[in-house]
Amino acid sequence: MPTDTSTDQSTAVPALPASARATSNDDFRTLEAGLDALQTVPLAERGPWRRIVDGVLPPVLLLAALVVAWQFYVVIAQPRPDLVPGPFNVAASIGELWSNGRLQQAVLTSLARGGAGFLIAVAIGTPLGLLLAEWRLLRRALGPLLSGLQVLPSVAWVPAAIIWFGLTDATVYFVVLMGAVPSIANGLVAGIDQVPPQLRRVGTVLGASRLQLATLVILPAALPGYLAGLKQGWAFSWRSLMAAEIIAMGGSIGFGLGSMLQQSRDLADLPGVLATILVILFVGILVELIAFAPAERSLLRRRGLTAGGPR
Amino acid sequence: MIDTRTAPVTVDATTGTATTVAIQRQVAAPAIRVDGLTKRFGTDGPVVLDDITLSIEPGEFVCLLGASGCGKSTLLNIIAGLEHPTSGTVTVTSGSAAVMFQESALFPWLTAGRNVELALKLRGVPRAERPGQALELLDLVNLADAAHKRPHELSGGMRQRVALARSLAQDRKVLLMDEPFAALDAITRDLLHEELERIWRETGRTIVFVTHNVREAARLGQRVLLMSSRPGRIANEWRLADTGPRRIESPEVSRLSIEITEQLRQEIRRNAH
Repeated sequence: MPTDTSTDQSTAVPALPASARATSNDDFRTLEAGLDALQTVPLAERGPWRRIVDGVLPPVLLLAALVVAWQFYVVIAQPRPDLVPGPFNVAASIGELWSNGRLQQAVLTSLARGGAGFLIAVAIGTPLGLLLAEWRLLRRALGPLLSGLQVLPSVAWVPAAIIWFGLTDATVYFVVLMGAVPSIANGLVAGIDQVPPQLRRVGTVLGASRLQLATLVILPAALPGYLAGLKQGWAFSWRSLMAAEIIAMGGSIGFGLGSMLQQSRDLADLPGVLATILVILFVGILVELIAFAPAERSLLRRRGLTAGGPR
Repeated sequence: MIDTRTAPVTVDATTGTATTVAIQRQVAAPAIRVDGLTKRFGTDGPVVLDDITLSIEPGEFVCLLGASGCGKSTLLNIIAGLEHPTSGTVTVTSGSAAVMFQESALFPWLTAGRNVELALKLRGVPRAERPGQALELLDLVNLADAAHKRPHELSGGMRQRVALARSLAQDRKVLLMDEPFAALDAITRDLLHEELERIWRETGRTIVFVTHNVREAARLGQRVLLMSSRPGRIANEWRLADTGPRRIESPEVSRLSIEITEQLRQEIRRNAH
């Protein structure tokens, strides 16, 4: 029973008219909808055409300017052509490599190996990252080692790998894995560490079991960090692959871009070397643009994490 | 022992609602029972909550008011089962409670509708029924149109309403709220008070509402519990006759706020040595 004793106080306050007390339901809804409209800024989506122009034009223009400057230097300074070939020499070299089919073969071999190595690294790095994030003892024991491995240039493993596995694809894959697995595992750990504790708390409050908490809350919340780890893992795969291919040639190892680079060096063919470097760079950029950038952009946009997005 | 002097403040009883509510309350067992609850952090840390005993009736709207560090959020977390008491017992008769926090803590990768649906899923609602129920719950907070929007596209107030709909999706008799409107602007907060009160009346939930805002407590609560700080104890309580919705700017709320503030300041002064 609500206690209702000090009647002298209550009479001091005149009763409010009913209209001043409650807002009718419809009025309230309109009021609230009005405030909602005031407080939300409509999203201004840029069209796809505009996005391409904004994203593609600046790097293409810069590239063109660099090539023009390079050509100017070659024309004006007249350096030794075997030391500084012009852009046309390099282009011609690419054309030649293309026409005899070695370029396509090297790109396909390297991409296939890099891709396969990366996928194996994902398959190993992901469960490893999960274990590290959730099992404190393992993290304390293995964490520093894994961070160390991330710093160690994976090319350092090539001599050991050649002794263990000989000149086979196993050597190449071993080096790629040593480069990529730590990045992927550490990326996932960082992603999980950055999951806001409120989200875990809400999951618990909503009655999620341990497994449900992991699959429905923690993993989706850790996705941005995981994707960053994957991206870095791919970069490490590609770099390690090139290093392994340059050093370990012959045997049963296929002919990749790194092998092509080393072969051009042996022939003192600088245009060929520069052409191969450009192709390696181009493949790296292409994978980033086709695979990772769109995934990252849509992930961040859906979560409102893009720069200049709404609040 | 705790000191529960009762300082009743009445609000003019003009309608019959007060009596009907009172009758229901006499019949039912308490929704939440806290008995001799003490909480200290660590084995010899400071006592955060000291021998708290209270009982909350089914359908009651209780505001837990106090300055920073009085342990009001800790008390709420213990009732929610998120923290454990050092000694004493807490019983939530209906089993467990739904909780809403100051930050909406919506899952940013899900739309508003999906956020509510996830709560339904974790409750065990069959997949086919979830979208419909989620939409109904969002409509209850007047956000059915925003079901497809993601949290970052919503304003702070809208996010809290989605969070409220999500807590209601848990379908628990008890709803615990930890300063849910503290981060909102005054205009939005005023509207959310009205919203919450309406939902409380429609759904008959037992609500425990933690706040440091005296006017908010006086505006919303049927009963206001004032907590003292270090250690946290219940210093006083006020019961308000339920005469239907009241406005935050109304004289009755002002009068009660003045009285509570006076005592709150006394409690804070005790901490100055």
